[in-house]
Amino acid sequence: MLQFLLHGLTVLLLPPLLPGLIAKTKARMAGRQGPPVLQLYYDLAKLARKRAVYSRTTTWVFLAGPVGGVAAGLAASALVPFGHTPAPISFEGDVILFAYLFGLARFLTILSALDTGSSFEGMGAAREATFSALAEPALFLGFAALAKANASLSLGTMLAFPGSLTTRFTGPLILILAGWVIVYLAENSRIPVDDPNTHLELTMIHEVMVLDHSGRPFALVLYGASLKLLVLGALILTPALPRAAHAWQNWLAFYAALAGLAVGVGLVESSMARFRMTKVPQFLVAGVLATGFAFLLMLV
Amino acid sequence: MLDVALVLASSGCWFAGALLSAFSRPPERLATGLGLLGSLLALGASIHLLLGGPTSWVVFQAWGLPARLEVDALSAAFLLPLHLVGGLGLIYGRRYWPAQLPWGSGRSLRFFYGLLVAAMTLLFLARHGLVFLVAWELMAVSAFFLVGTDHEKPEVRRASWVYLACTHTGTLLLTAMVILMAQRMGGLQWTVLPVSTSPWFEGGILLLALVGFGFKAGVLPLHFWLPSAHASAPSHVSAILSAVMLKTGIYGILRVSCLLPAIPRGVGGTLLALGALTAVYGVGNALAQRDYKRLLAYSSIENLGIILMGVGLGWTGRATHDPWLMALGFGGALFHIWNHSLFKSLLFYGAGAILHATGTRDMEALGGLGRRMPRTALLVFPAVLAVTALPPFNAFLSEWFLYRGLFTSLAHGYPWSAALGLVALALAGGLAAVAFARFFGTLFLGSPRSEAAEHAHDPAGSMLLPMAVLAGLCLAVGLGAFLLLPLLDRAVAVLAPGTPALLARGLQGDLRLLAGLELVFLLLVAAGLAWLRRPEAVAAASGPQDLPTWGCGYAVPVPRAQYTGSSFADAWAPVQPGLRARRPHLRGLFPGGASFRQAFKEPVGEVFLEPRVARVAERLLRFRRFQQGHLPVYLLYVLLTLLGTFLWMLLRERLLG
Repeated sequence: MLQFLLHGLTVLLLPPLLPGLIAKTKARMAGRQGPPVLQLYYDLAKLARKRAVYSRTTTWVFLAGPVGGVAAGLAASALVPFGHTPAPISFEGDVILFAYLFGLARFLTILSALDTGSSFEGMGAAREATFSALAEPALFLGFAALAKANASLSLGTMLAFPGSLTTRFTGPLILILAGWVIVYLAENSRIPVDDPNTHLELTMIHEVMVLDHSGRPFALVLYGASLKLLVLGALILTPALPRAAHAWQNWLAFYAALAGLAVGVGLVESSMARFRMTKVPQFLVAGVLATGFAFLLMLV
Repeated sequence: MLDVALVLASSGCWFAGALLSAFSRPPERLATGLGLLGSLLALGASIHLLLGGPTSWVVFQAWGLPARLEVDALSAAFLLPLHLVGGLGLIYGRRYWPAQLPWGSGRSLRFFYGLLVAAMTLLFLARHGLVFLVAWELMAVSAFFLVGTDHEKPEVRRASWVYLACTHTGTLLLTAMVILMAQRMGGLQWTVLPVSTSPWFEGGILLLALVGFGFKAGVLPLHFWLPSAHASAPSHVSAILSAVMLKTGIYGILRVSCLLPAIPRGVGGTLLALGALTAVYGVGNALAQRDYKRLLAYSSIENLGIILMGVGLGWTGRATHDPWLMALGFGGALFHIWNHSLFKSLLFYGAGAILHATGTRDMEALGGLGRRMPRTALLVFPAVLAVTALPPFNAFLSEWFLYRGLFTSLAHGYPWSAALGLVALALAGGLAAVAFARFFGTLFLGSPRSEAAEHAHDPAGSMLLPMAVLAGLCLAVGLGAFLLLPLLDRAVAVLAPGTPALLARGLQGDLRLLAGLELVFLLLVAAGLAWLRRPEAVAAASGPQDLPTWGCGYAVPVPRAQYTGSSFADAWAPVQPGLRARRPHLRGLFPGGASFRQAFKEPVGEVFLEPRVARVAERLLRFRRFQQGHLPVYLLYVLLTLLGTFLWMLLRERLLG
């Protein structure tokens, strides 16, 4: 019970810390002081008090993106184990629900971008739809390989698989994780797929879709994005983490790994530039190939 | 006995309603009432049967031979969507296509609509080759007249003729199948063949069934009649064609396979692969459509592919005696049939409402309908989420069944077809999301791109009511699917004897948890919306209320500058087999004017078949001299044929020894 409480609190309170950590890492790498690590908490608090502005073309669909995104992220977070602590809800086939909940969040975000009637946001929505349709197979093939490896369709069993470090499985696991890191960077709109700090609308993907959101809806958008960083991060970290004897050790390992992941993303962002838009599909296909190959290795 | 009598009475009601509509001054209320009564009767009987009522039948004499009408759980599983969509379509059609139109097509539409439903009801009961074929033809021909309702337009006439040619090719093959089956069963009455005697014979029956029924179901190379027929028909007819008539092909395949003693293992895998290809092909072409009804028709091809994947999985399970695989495969296929009939008819009703309000089927001329037709937008929204298989709506669950079936197949050692199916299902889901984001985004969101869209308005309540019922059912099935498991089990038990209530036992717990989480999601959405509604803590300065979209500093955005549906899907042009684009080549530093053209041609029908069929037709022209138009010449033909027959009778003994 205590575990589930901690799980819930982590999901609700921790996410805004991750973008802060990434920003801090980037700033330090560039020799700057950077914004405080807790900056996103301040931003959210400020936005929650501000009045939202709505364009005259928008309808209720405009709000479906922010609200649905956060709700789907929260629902999906109940399915994923944090480290070797089991997930609150777990059943056979939950992995499909997990993947489709993120699909739902993305679909609603795309619709709310199209609702503004702006060509910039339409462009961002088209890019998001294209790139995510390429990232989705990588996620799914990874799941398929893991499911084949331990004959289960439940995230808890698949990710926290005790035999995951046997020699038979090491190669595929590395490939899966490599493919998923690409998915992670793409889904969270990070360099080298998308630059969250860019200021030219023509080069944006995710940011351009939420140009018209303000006030509380925008707070939900920001919170949803950081939630995605946490939940998908847990997906990558869990198979790679060693199993500890005590629950508190597992939690500690998870938090440390999560901080490490954020710093790692910051390091990637400081060390390379965004790909040209035409190169992005190739990068994503590399992820599909890695996980696809892992799946093939599990089949033969 | 009770159930079959009810269903027969329902068929009779629909038939009587159809006849009433054919009068020159039709009593429309009475005809509609009869149809609705028929639907209620059939729905009651099928639900009673699926809840555990016994199989009931009636035996009678047809042409001096015993014939049989029977309603079992499999028939009931198909009668359910038929009478739901049939009845709702009747309500919808009253305002959508008024009876008193100047050119009188309203009457023929009502007549053939009633006939179609009556014929399909009979089709699901028939257990006799000849009765089945008669019902099949009645259905096919009334669908032909329904597709051609608007026959003043040349493209509608063309679509209905192509459909007629295809359905009759299918009927030809089915007739051959019925003859083979009669040979094997010793009569036209259909009985289960207990043991296999000749694999070639049964293989022939199965192949003929697959191809003949495949024409109706729109399996990959045989689908080319479908998009234009569904786009041309009146929308509530498109709904019933897509939601039920395509499924009669699946019903036929399933029914015939039940009678056969065994299905070879390779056939299941092949069908699974074929379904996977059909699904990806259908959704790939859906991306390329500018005509929103044609987009929906291609999406039907995709969904039929998904259903076939389920059937293939079930057959693999049957060949390898794997009850769990059978339950998941057949159960997933049947469940997807239900779900597809709910959301696709809702989408077609929505499309009809838009067509009714704006008069155009071109997506790029519309936009901003969400503000002008708010109720339609709200009701179509669930269907759009359902067709992309997103939770918490119904189609997510049937795909979830199939995913589980595919993974089971993977674990039990039939990896290749399952791996292909898995990738295809995920890919089709992703592409469907792009296609339907385009559908909803271009039609309902943004600002109107033409005058017609500017002045659109919501349709009458009698058109919105069927949509509301279907939208409610989409959500209810999505949340309460665990209640439907025993019903599915009953239907699966017909297809796979010896799998008692596997779905209810195996999936009940999982589905309850899933539904719980979906409910949590909905509650979170409600909470989020409530929070957005609450006034902010800081008293808002009264700023301007009527503001344009932020256009990067440009304050006068024009609707033409919006992203179009075509550019939204442009990145996927390489996977849209029928899309032909002529792009300008720009050379030099100051290129002159340039133009861009893009057109869609159905790859199988228009690109491959049409020129070849035209060539064959030209060759056949020389046979026209036999058609003189003179009665004596035809009498001569009859005489010659008669003589030839006599000669054959005389010489047969000697020639054949």
